Amino acid sequence: MLRFVARRLWGGGLTLAALVTLTFFIMRLAPGGPFSRNRKVSPEVLENIKRAFHLDEPIWQQYARWVWGLLHLDLGPSTRFRDYSVGDLIASGLPYSLTIGFWAIVVAGLVGVALGIAGALRRNGATDYAAGIVGVIGIAIPIFVLGPLAQVLFALKLNWLPVGGIAAGWRSLILPILILALPNIAYISRLTRSSMIEVMRENYVRTARAKGIGPRRVLTGHILTGALLPVIAYLGPATAAIITGSILIETVFAVPGVGRHFVDAALNRDYPLVMGITILYGGLVILFNIATDLLRGWIDPRVRSHG
Amino acid sequence: MRRLLAKTIAALALTTALAAAPALAPSAAWADDTLDRGVGSEWSSLDPQVNFDAAAGLILMDAYEGLVTFGPGGKILPGAAESWEISEDGLTYTFHLRDGLKWSNGDPLVAQDFVASVLRTLNPETLSDKGYYFYSVVQIAGAAALANRETSDAATLGVTAPDDRSVVIRLAAPAPHLLNILGAFQIPPLHGPSFQANGAAGFTDPGKTVSNGAYMFKEIVPQSHVLLVRNPNYWDADNVKIPQVKYHVTEDVTTELKRFEAGEIDVTYDVPAAMLDKLAQTRPDELILSPATEVLYFDFNLTHEPLKDINLRTALSWAIDRETLMSKIVKTGAVPTYSYAGGFDPDYHGPQMPGAELTQAEREAKAQELYAAAGYGPGNPLKLTIVTTVAEDRVKTAQGIALMWKKVLGVEARVNPVERKAWLDSFYAGDWDVFADDLIGDFPGAETFLAYMRPSTEPGYNWVKPEFDAAMDKAATLTEKAARNAALAEAEKLLLDDMIFAPVAIESSRMLVSSHVHGWVPSALGYYNSQFLTLD
Repeated sequence: MLRFVARRLWGGGLTLAALVTLTFFIMRLAPGGPFSRNRKVSPEVLENIKRAFHLDEPIWQQYARWVWGLLHLDLGPSTRFRDYSVGDLIASGLPYSLTIGFWAIVVAGLVGVALGIAGALRRNGATDYAAGIVGVIGIAIPIFVLGPLAQVLFALKLNWLPVGGIAAGWRSLILPILILALPNIAYISRLTRSSMIEVMRENYVRTARAKGIGPRRVLTGHILTGALLPVIAYLGPATAAIITGSILIETVFAVPGVGRHFVDAALNRDYPLVMGITILYGGLVILFNIATDLLRGWIDPRVRSHG
Repeated sequence: MRRLLAKTIAALALTTALAAAPALAPSAAWADDTLDRGVGSEWSSLDPQVNFDAAAGLILMDAYEGLVTFGPGGKILPGAAESWEISEDGLTYTFHLRDGLKWSNGDPLVAQDFVASVLRTLNPETLSDKGYYFYSVVQIAGAAALANRETSDAATLGVTAPDDRSVVIRLAAPAPHLLNILGAFQIPPLHGPSFQANGAAGFTDPGKTVSNGAYMFKEIVPQSHVLLVRNPNYWDADNVKIPQVKYHVTEDVTTELKRFEAGEIDVTYDVPAAMLDKLAQTRPDELILSPATEVLYFDFNLTHEPLKDINLRTALSWAIDRETLMSKIVKTGAVPTYSYAGGFDPDYHGPQMPGAELTQAEREAKAQELYAAAGYGPGNPLKLTIVTTVAEDRVKTAQGIALMWKKVLGVEARVNPVERKAWLDSFYAGDWDVFADDLIGDFPGAETFLAYMRPSTEPGYNWVKPEFDAAMDKAATLTEKAARNAALAEAEKLLLDDMIFAPVAIESSRMLVSSHVHGWVPSALGYYNSQFLTLD
């Protein structure tokens, strides 16, 4: 098991290193720089500012400087948000992003599994159809459409929740969390349903029933343990989906998280901020994938030996 | 396994909830005594000597006060200075500060604080590009030398404080528009002791920020909001009616609109262009469209062979039906224009481009003749690339113009939208035939636009015209506004006659102002200090 962990961590580290290196160099290929302006700023002044941010150095030297900073846990200053370092910006935004992301996963997991179970137990019943409809909506309609629709319905028409911002405390987070969870509820419920239907046909389930074990015990003790494996495997990709989703959700609902910086930083050529968020999000996705693998490996020995 | 999952989830939930709890505690934003204003995307800096953003400018204008301030409609009013004198030659301005001025922490505010601000802006260590106000927009004596590290001697700067209540500004060339750039956005005073103690970090820590405006900082949350409260030490605090002003980051313009409709925001930063027609019907009293200090114009690349021909450039400019373009295609409230620097200062009576006196039908007919005379026709169409930013209204403008060129002349124009930073670089790279340009002026006057076009300082247009430089030099010596405007108009005629670009429109500023907010008067420059507003 330890060797398995070490192997996954090493692989994850290599992936992350490749990711940030590629990002660093590809980003510099885009035309324009952080201090491009159409103003009559004296060339000496511009040179001076570029020098202070080390933008005058050869690119490999900037890369080495960035890696050196990273080793000292210093992500550098933001060129767009001059009052803050990249570390400050991440520290201020991450609690919001994590709160939304975490609860979105919890909601997606609980509701998705519940809907899936209900659907599998009463196939083609009312709950199954309802779950199917939620699934189709969640998968087919992108969250940048669902978000504004939910704002119109719950904030403007019903007046239950705020449109955006964080001024209303936890009430502000309900819509972002639910909308972010919805596509994953859809996937997880479909996944649970099909995998349960499959497991319910397995011999060991029939044996358990034949032994006279009650339907409830069979469900929790026998069917679910097998049926939830693919769901757990999906948690890694789900994290990636939640992270990319949060970039849109934070913009639509005006949540001051980290995700909002992602696109903006690239557009503003804020190189250090792009790098900081890339390494953060890349690291999170890789870490969750490893954690998912570990969880699966622990439950299912086959993963351990083949992984 | 179920138990393990449940335990893990419970533990994670608890830690997250605990970690996030303080940040998510409901604040008092819903109280009625707060004016909620949108600022678009996040301010780039709250450091008053560094910030370049108009959006952050709104916040700084509330928190700081310059020698002058801008009242309703953008009118110049005495600010920290109660009066001033201008020398006969227009080169020396002497400002007299009000008696008993105080900083928000009660410290006395002295003339030296204004000098310190200009010095810090120009100091290369500050890494501010905002010094261009002092060496380019106006030429304060010694400013360029300090910015360019030719000297570090503060005594060489033409901004001095002979005593605690006098600020003297010496200019290298007369600049009647100087008063326009002495507001808090460009030259707020600098509180020495707090800056020495905290450095630039003090500007984002509400506990440490010391300001002199009608409001002071109470809360700063990156990506979310800035909360300002009334400054009890402000000299005119009795007339500041709204107790709190909250500036919200409103990056997504449709979300901002919904937040306005829900009453979460009283004044928006922008309005989605696609919603203008509908809002004009549903909220006619709250929708405010007014001309901004921004001109949209399409540059022709003078280094590309076909466009070296002025007749071809004229044909292209005349083939644009500006009225139809703005009212039927772009529909942002931008106003068609036939000049470059006119339309901002009511006292400036500048020229219009050649052909402006004709009807559009006449212009199009002549354009077709000129196009044919240049050797182009159905079998041999002119092919052009238009580079624009990706902003939706800008792409629409470029596409609309391409369409008109196609319809009237048969020109095959391809629109190439690029992100803003790439667009800025593309201009100097010159990889365009036509460049969808726009310029935001530093003040509502002709000079800010015309000065930008000087061939001696702006090589990007590849326009060689010593006469224009000479005309601008001549205008720069004049101190009397009417005479200066007349000289500027001569310069603009040289510019427009050469058809190096097609002027298209004066951009609009679009906002929604709640009917609960009173005292809102549209201003071209976009300064709307909260101290002049009331809330019911």
